[in-house]
Amino acid sequence: MANERISVIKVRETLMVTMPADPDDSTITALQEEVLQAMARYEASGLILDISAVETMDSFFARTVVETTRMVELMGGKTVIAGMRPSVAITATQLGFTFGNTKTALDVDYALDLLGDRHPRRPGHGR
Amino acid sequence: MVVESYGEVDILDESHIVTVRKTIREAASRIGFGVTDVTRIVTAGSELARNAFHYAGRGVMRWQEVENGQSIGIELVFEDHGPGIANLEQALEPGYSTSGGLGMGLPGTKRLMDEMDIRSRVGEGTTVTVRKWRRK
Ligand SMILES: Nc1ncnc2c1ncn2[C@@H]1O[C@H](COP(=O)(O)OP(=O)(O)OP(=O)(O)O)[C@@H](O)[C@H]1O
Ligand SMILES: [Mg+2]
Repeated sequence: MANERISVIKVRETLMVTMPADPDDSTITALQEEVLQAMARYEASGLILDISAVETMDSFFARTVVETTRMVELMGGKTVIAGMRPSVAITATQLGFTFGNTKTALDVDYALDLLGDRHPRRPGHGR
Repeated sequence: MVVESYGEVDILDESHIVTVRKTIREAASRIGFGVTDVTRIVTAGSELARNAFHYAGRGVMRWQEVENGQSIGIELVFEDHGPGIANLEQALEPGYSTSGGLGMGLPGTKRLMDEMDIRSRVGEGTTVTVRKWRRK
């Protein structure tokens, strides 16, 4: 199914990953592998996870997204989750899910700003 | 065209969790739920479908339109013949999981829906019924 594909593109230092509307579990699991390998391959410093098409995020999907951001962090990258629909945000919160310290943005545009702001290309400690 | 007000989806492999979500989305939208409620109902259904598949290996989801005075709604029944749940109270506690999950499925589903009823017998299986209502 064409709409079940994860799309991955790189713009400058940032990897942009777009999730399909209703991915099955194996597509969600593939997200982790694909993203981590692409981060390394393209030497990207930031990741934008565009979930604006996503209509349903259950606990499995949400957990995989948060896990992926942690793994990217381990590799030295920063993640911003972009475009979460209001209905998805309400539902995930009611389900009991917290996205912890994961950064979020209204859309990809803001996410790029956020990565630019928060990712000075020099060594230093966070916070 | 006859519009069905009930239906059934077998959960035999992982891809059927997606079928369950699509079926519920269509049914709930047609019953007239708004986008946020549709998302709540579909998400709850996804949790229960995954539980049936994960813990019992297979199961079935039945849905129907329901009516009660000034309200109409949707009822989802998930039935499996898996191991059952020994301690229901414990299973409903947020964070309780026997599979290294977040233990969010059952307590979360309860919050997302208006009614939830679980019947389970160890060694026989589990039936979870949930309902969501809206005013006519
Ligand atoms: N259909 C079922 N058959 C047997 N046991 C079940 C079933 N559904 C739930 N359980 C039991 O109840 C526990 C809690 O379920 P719940 O869905 O809340 O969390 P989880 O599946 O462990 O994790 P999560 O859903 O957050 O990924 C499960 O760990 C399992 O032991
Ligand atoms: Mg579960």
